Amino acid sequence: MSVRGWLCDAGSLALEGFVALEDATVVTRLRNAGAELVGSSRMSELGFGLAGDTATRILSGGEADIALVTDTMGEARVAAAGSGVFGFKPSFGIVSRFGLVGLVPSMECYGILGKRLEDIMDTLSVIAGKDKDDPSMPDEGFPDFPVTRKPLKMPCTAGVIKECLDILDDRECKAFRTGLARLEEAGLTIREMSLSDFDLFRAVHNVVASVEASSSAGKYDGVRYGHRSSSGKNWNDMYLNSRGESFGSLIKTFLFQGAYFQFENYPAFEVACRNRRRLVRAVGDLLGHVDLLVFPTRRREHDAARAATINHIYDAFSLTLPANVTGQPSLHVPSLALHSGDDIGVQLIGLRLEDSPLLSIGLKFSSTAQGVA
Amino acid sequence: MKYEAVIGLEIHVQLNSSTKLFCDCPNRPGDEPNRNTCPVCLWIPGALPQLSQEALEKAALACLALNCSIQPESAFDQKVYYYPDLPKGFQLSQHHKPLARNGWVDIVGEDGRIKRLRIHHIHMEEDVAKLVHEIEGKTPISLVDFNRAGTPLIEIVSEADMRNPHEAMEYVKTLRGQLRYMGSAECSLEQGTLRVDANISLRPQGTDELNTKVEVKNMNSIRNVGDAIAYEIIRQTECLEKGEPIVLHTRLWDPEKRVTSPMRGKFSGPCVPDPSVPRIVVTHDWLKEMQGRLPEMPGQKTERFLREYGLTPEEASNMSLERDLSEFFDAVVKQDLPPRKVASWMTTHLVPALRDRNQTIRETLLTAERFARVLSMLEKDMINAHAAKEVLLRLLSSKETPEEIVEKGRFRQVSDTTELEALIDRIIAEHPSDVEDFRKGNAKVMGFLMGLAMKASQSKANPKLLKEIFTKRLN
Repeated sequence: MSVRGWLCDAGSLALEGFVALEDATVVTRLRNAGAELVGSSRMSELGFGLAGDTATRILSGGEADIALVTDTMGEARVAAAGSGVFGFKPSFGIVSRFGLVGLVPSMECYGILGKRLEDIMDTLSVIAGKDKDDPSMPDEGFPDFPVTRKPLKMPCTAGVIKECLDILDDRECKAFRTGLARLEEAGLTIREMSLSDFDLFRAVHNVVASVEASSSAGKYDGVRYGHRSSSGKNWNDMYLNSRGESFGSLIKTFLFQGAYFQFENYPAFEVACRNRRRLVRAVGDLLGHVDLLVFPTRRREHDAARAATINHIYDAFSLTLPANVTGQPSLHVPSLALHSGDDIGVQLIGLRLEDSPLLSIGLKFSSTAQGVA
Repeated sequence: MKYEAVIGLEIHVQLNSSTKLFCDCPNRPGDEPNRNTCPVCLWIPGALPQLSQEALEKAALACLALNCSIQPESAFDQKVYYYPDLPKGFQLSQHHKPLARNGWVDIVGEDGRIKRLRIHHIHMEEDVAKLVHEIEGKTPISLVDFNRAGTPLIEIVSEADMRNPHEAMEYVKTLRGQLRYMGSAECSLEQGTLRVDANISLRPQGTDELNTKVEVKNMNSIRNVGDAIAYEIIRQTECLEKGEPIVLHTRLWDPEKRVTSPMRGKFSGPCVPDPSVPRIVVTHDWLKEMQGRLPEMPGQKTERFLREYGLTPEEASNMSLERDLSEFFDAVVKQDLPPRKVASWMTTHLVPALRDRNQTIRETLLTAERFARVLSMLEKDMINAHAAKEVLLRLLSSKETPEEIVEKGRFRQVSDTTELEALIDRIIAEHPSDVEDFRKGNAKVMGFLMGLAMKASQSKANPKLLKEIFTKRLN
């Protein structure tokens, strides 16, 4: 995230020493609303995954009320699940991406972490809204934020996707069922639904995100900023060596994969794009029958911070990435899905641009969560 | 075997919008290097492209001027390639969903008949940075100038409808005329604001095979386009006759040696949809507004000049070739002057004078009204053609009225018969042998004697009267 005059290396040698020239729109809006920027935390390389990310430590240490992290496949929600705080990914397009050092433009956004859901809501109401500097945002349909503070209309129905539960092990299942029971206590009706294409989310994200990443990271050539290799006979060598020395092996693998689809297997990318549209429609259809969907947030034995291969990282984010594929808002509520010490988390997912009702449902559990965090 | 050439052209045209395609930087590539840049066109992390409405409008008008249909929806793709002139790693271009499709221009073929040449599609794209290689000195270095990076281009892709160099040259000329008329682009091959790539293949005459094509680049004038294609047709014919296969590759035209030679294969990368630039969705109202901005185009103008002014087809086409000149012509004719005379004066005197001065009509002090006054003086026999030409030339750079120039320069025509008779009698007396010749039947002598009389009158004599008097005196 660009803060003018601050180092902005996005956790990568490819941006070593790069100092942001402009404030991101989000930064401008937060400052104008009276927020104080206390510092930047470390992030995983180019915001992909959570290896090395220190955002939640700042919250736990009480140094800040809110942390913003790049959410490409669920980073904000999974990080929140790991430290007992709320994590929210807004609808795609309601927060300006201007000033975000992007990797996957069609999926990423600022995720918001906070101990108190009210702080997340305040932050969102400040940073969301049309920005002339980000023309990819829709012209209208922005959530009506004051509505979020109104009590939710009950009863409310939440859908659980059967195929999503199928991938959980016994302990995870128990924990998630505990979470669902807490939702029912709060007055929600749980309904089991089926989405036979659920396993496509992971493949679609993997193909589309890697292709976009390959394009986005093409600009890191080490010429004007970032690490520049001292070896090489000509400019081609210099590019290859600089990029080879800059990127870590995880991001390198991901970029290779994206380049493979771009250059060698474009039809597979087209299939992924078609499937993505199909998934958006399918989830929209489900939400025609229920008010929201409920997913677990993370897998017990797949630690996002230690994921070292593409497969591992997709295991760790398999439950959060669907909302990035569809652009829907998703809220991680902590301390509901607890079983023998594991909090696998509850994610509330609503229709795109329907961030307000989703947050107002979350508000019902705000006090529950705070006690534990 | 006799071969037929199949030619298609890909033409890049720089739009003359005031800003670049995706940022507010001035669209002036020629300024001091790296003056016109910002985070967007330098492709700094965190910047986002914003499509310029003006550039989009100019592109759409160009498409309409070439009879294309603007597509209801078009979108930008990332054309991936890695080269120092494109540090972003991809060029924003409309590969999958171009702005417009299915256009055409009419040209006059070698047989004098109108031939319609189809345009497959037109898409928008951003230009790349300019590389400057300094090879002299101890360490050769390459510098990158970003002034051109992100400036708006359209690429016009023709169908392979052309069959000979003449048609290709006429296609470029007509297309250039249309775009200049529209005011969307300067279109100078010499300055690189219009760049032509030609795809050429051969097939046995009478078949409709589509054979391997060769691309030829680097032609910096319309003539070079024709010459390069002609050369390439001969080269490929020789290859085929020798039994050598034609391989798909790109060749560079060398304007000095007048040959094409193979260049290193350009890597062509994939095109993936760009997620950051919104799709362009065209509304009915917007399209109507664009159509309303189209001026009367050369074809329509030629037809009107034929119909209303009774010009010959050649005169009509000449008078509609350039927008400024055609509007000037229209304005002069409206001052009640005979259209064919105006056309002839513009073609034989005004256009060559402008060419000599390397000026456009707008850059001179001549107005339609001032030009009309010179021609009416000529019509009324107040001055002769010679004087009219002199006055016309002076009007290009003088603020004086045509009447003042005529008075001061004593251009008024001598129509006084007594004065002319005296002059003619003197010439007849001084040239008895020529007079003798004429009377023996050598009619050419009349021209010689007329010339002497005109010279003696300092070109002010009324030529009609001169001839009448000579004829009377000599017979």
